[in-house]
Amino acid sequence: MAEDTPVPKLNFEYWLNKAIEWGQATTLESQKDVCLHLPQLQEFLHEIYETLKHKDSVVAIQQFPLIGQLLGRLCWNPFVVGYDESQKTLMWCLCCLYSSEPQNPVELKANSWIRSLLCHLLSSSKWESNEAETSTFISTLGYTSADYYCHLVKNMVFSLVTELRGNQFNGLYIQGRVSASRVNAMSLFCLPLITLPDVTPLLETLLLYHGGASKEILSSQFLEAVNEAFLKKKISLPETAVFSLWLRHLPSLEKATLYLLDQLVSIQLNSLEEVACVIKDSLLPQAASHPAIFRIVNEIFKNALLETDGTPEVMTIIQVFTQLFLQAHQNENKQHKFPLKAYFPYHHQPLVTALLKRPFELPATHWSAHLKHISDILKALVEDTNVSSLADLFEIWFLVVRFGEWPDIAAEQLLKAAGEPDALLWLLAFYYCPQNENQQRTQTMVEAKAVYNHLMMLFNCTVLSVKALEAAVHSITDTEQCCNQHLLTHLLTNFLLFSSGGHTIAQEFIYHITETTDSSKEVCSLLTRTAYRINHNGEENERTVKLLNELLEKLTLKV
Amino acid sequence: MEALLELVEQLPALLAGARSALVRDWDSLTLDRALEWARYFQHLHDRFRTRPRLREVLGRRLRRAQLSPSLGFPHLGRCPQLLGLALLENRALPPTACRCLLRSLLQPSGAEAGPEPHSLALLARRKAASRLLALPSSPPLSPADMEPQLQAEAQLLLGRLREEGQEAESAGEAAGRPRWFSAVLEQLPTPRVFEVVAAALLGQGNGAERAGGGGLAGNSLDGNRASATGEECVAGPLLSWLVGNQERFSAFCLFLPGSLLASLAGHYSQLSRPYLDLLAGCGSHLLYDPLQGRWVKSCPDKAVLSWEELRERFTCLYQGSAVLRGQTQAALKLLKAHDGDFQVCGLSVWTDLLTEVEECLRKDAEC
Repeated sequence: MAEDTPVPKLNFEYWLNKAIEWGQATTLESQKDVCLHLPQLQEFLHEIYETLKHKDSVVAIQQFPLIGQLLGRLCWNPFVVGYDESQKTLMWCLCCLYSSEPQNPVELKANSWIRSLLCHLLSSSKWESNEAETSTFISTLGYTSADYYCHLVKNMVFSLVTELRGNQFNGLYIQGRVSASRVNAMSLFCLPLITLPDVTPLLETLLLYHGGASKEILSSQFLEAVNEAFLKKKISLPETAVFSLWLRHLPSLEKATLYLLDQLVSIQLNSLEEVACVIKDSLLPQAASHPAIFRIVNEIFKNALLETDGTPEVMTIIQVFTQLFLQAHQNENKQHKFPLKAYFPYHHQPLVTALLKRPFELPATHWSAHLKHISDILKALVEDTNVSSLADLFEIWFLVVRFGEWPDIAAEQLLKAAGEPDALLWLLAFYYCPQNENQQRTQTMVEAKAVYNHLMMLFNCTVLSVKALEAAVHSITDTEQCCNQHLLTHLLTNFLLFSSGGHTIAQEFIYHITETTDSSKEVCSLLTRTAYRINHNGEENERTVKLLNELLEKLTLKV
Repeated sequence: MEALLELVEQLPALLAGARSALVRDWDSLTLDRALEWARYFQHLHDRFRTRPRLREVLGRRLRRAQLSPSLGFPHLGRCPQLLGLALLENRALPPTACRCLLRSLLQPSGAEAGPEPHSLALLARRKAASRLLALPSSPPLSPADMEPQLQAEAQLLLGRLREEGQEAESAGEAAGRPRWFSAVLEQLPTPRVFEVVAAALLGQGNGAERAGGGGLAGNSLDGNRASATGEECVAGPLLSWLVGNQERFSAFCLFLPGSLLASLAGHYSQLSRPYLDLLAGCGSHLLYDPLQGRWVKSCPDKAVLSWEELRERFTCLYQGSAVLRGQTQAALKLLKAHDGDFQVCGLSVWTDLLTEVEECLRKDAEC
């Protein structure tokens, strides 16, 4: 019966069969199966409602003759009724089928049946037989079933929570002897109820429950569903419960990390403050204080970086994440905190120690020396023949990426601080071009040095002419290797920001560069990072800050 | 103001009408009007909730309008639900009106997206939740661990008593037993009503201890104010109902387990004395059988405890608070003294009880 209905007949039959199969969901298999299909069923019910709502009840029944059966069966399945918004849609559908002017006994019967069904759902007077006495008692008191069930559910949750937490006798917690199968059943039965606020204490207790068994006793469907609800911000759980969830269920952790990356990549990176906010809300940096979680999140970041070929956005996200992780770690009050080095076990420890030092922990005058120190260690490490494999090189490079603040500061210090530029240039060359099988890095270093020298000559000129910088610009636009391009763009941008004469021509130069080399995203990223760093770490003169903001505004409009 | 009060007087009639066959003549307009009234009453409730004097005036007017006053000011707040559900279950409501009812109760509408549709969906969800969470429970570990359904009924009873108490307070009247009290309790079958009353008394006695299930039914934003005065007006009627009728009290004590009664006696001194007296009465019905070497019931009457039961009850009392234990011990000693103050067993039931109970507890303490 092909009509303008968006609900293909096939689906209807499918769900009707399912509903018949499930019955009232009394067996474990049927329960698991229902839980598996709840989200799709809800969508389907919604589609049905959309189709029904504009139709007359008679026409509706003609179109879906078996709809009564379907709705009837679903209303007796507590998993379906308890799930999210399914009960709303079920009731709306029933309303649509109620006829206001029944013409024949069949319609009268249908009406009566619909009312019975609704009374069953809402527990009006015809409460089930075992509740008959309760219902008269409660209505004499002047309450409704709404009040009763409100209390009942809270009491049941409290009772189950107490059972799981065991009893407290004289301050000692005695874990209740709750069997693994019972806990598993509890988790399955809670699945439809995850977004019901009354049940949150039970969710928390289940997530934190450790029965001593080596295998996971909570149903994995449950864990997935809780994670989903948490990511979509449909429920709020205490941190400990969320961490416990991720520790027990690896797919949830992976999903959470990928979800975060998706979120961040899709929003405009206007300011790193926003990015930091989103990352913090995800609770992942805080969770990462568990080394297992830290390791997995980093693996995922590494893969993301590889898949996107090292786009600056992803690199920035990883940097901010690492900073937030360090912050969270520092703020933790736990007695048995892992030392930071424990999170980077496979790396060269002196390098790790050097990178772990945050810039604000040192006075600005010491930054150059510290950077030289980092550069020296790196150089020795990288040029050591033992570390020749590509994988090892990548690991070292990835480590530096995570602490990307330092290369950024190196690029600034090159221009601002006096002293030997070689070490810092090498660091930057490595950052942008880690590989050296075909002497790419060496080449980069050479070109960078040339441009650098040129820029340093112009650094203190208060009046700059476009011509003076042209040579530098040409080397950017002409260069063959893109990693050279990145490095030189970085140097030039910094130059324009921080030099005495640069600010007057900054706008048009940057515009020109980003146009010819299609690097507006990259420059934007660089400027955003610089702004964030200045807000948090450094002091910078007003002129630079103002210029920075103007450039950002213009660039973000284009991007 | 007078017009307002006259309107409020209509509430009982409205609800009664909604439950009766009168609705046969309702059409969708009548229904809409009825629902509007309900919303209006709720609105009144919300406005005057924090104004005790006005509350009292409205409450008094309401009670005046009823033969057996069971509705009070708080019911104004619950009116939409009371009316909606009453109409839903009333089979006499004609289809056109019913369709209208369903639409406004359940379907989403942009205009009055009030709490109404949401709360009914929530009700359906919670009912399903109560099915799902009703896992077969492990045996309760303490008398405070009562069956959730029982607790819910007790909480509603407590809620109603509290509301009543608050109304009396704002009217400046002393809280007495509400007129609807006995009628309400009669709705429950005998064993059940004892459990509910016991649960209510325990819930009230534990007060702030009860973490999860302690919410008050309906609206009570001044729940915290119901401290000392609250206790009286809530526990008072319950206790006087229990203790006032000897038969009832005796049935109550015999039905409920010793541990629960000991708990109650610990909280309410009004109970400990009558309870001890009752136990004394039971004990006096025991005779010593020298052939079996134990105490047996003199008449096979159910309303009397056996030796073992009596001992168990006294043991529970001993395990209560220090005050309770002291009281119990004193009572037993007194009974023993009046009975001849024998030291040898087999002559006075009180001697034997005292000996065994204290012996039992000493052994427990040693392990």
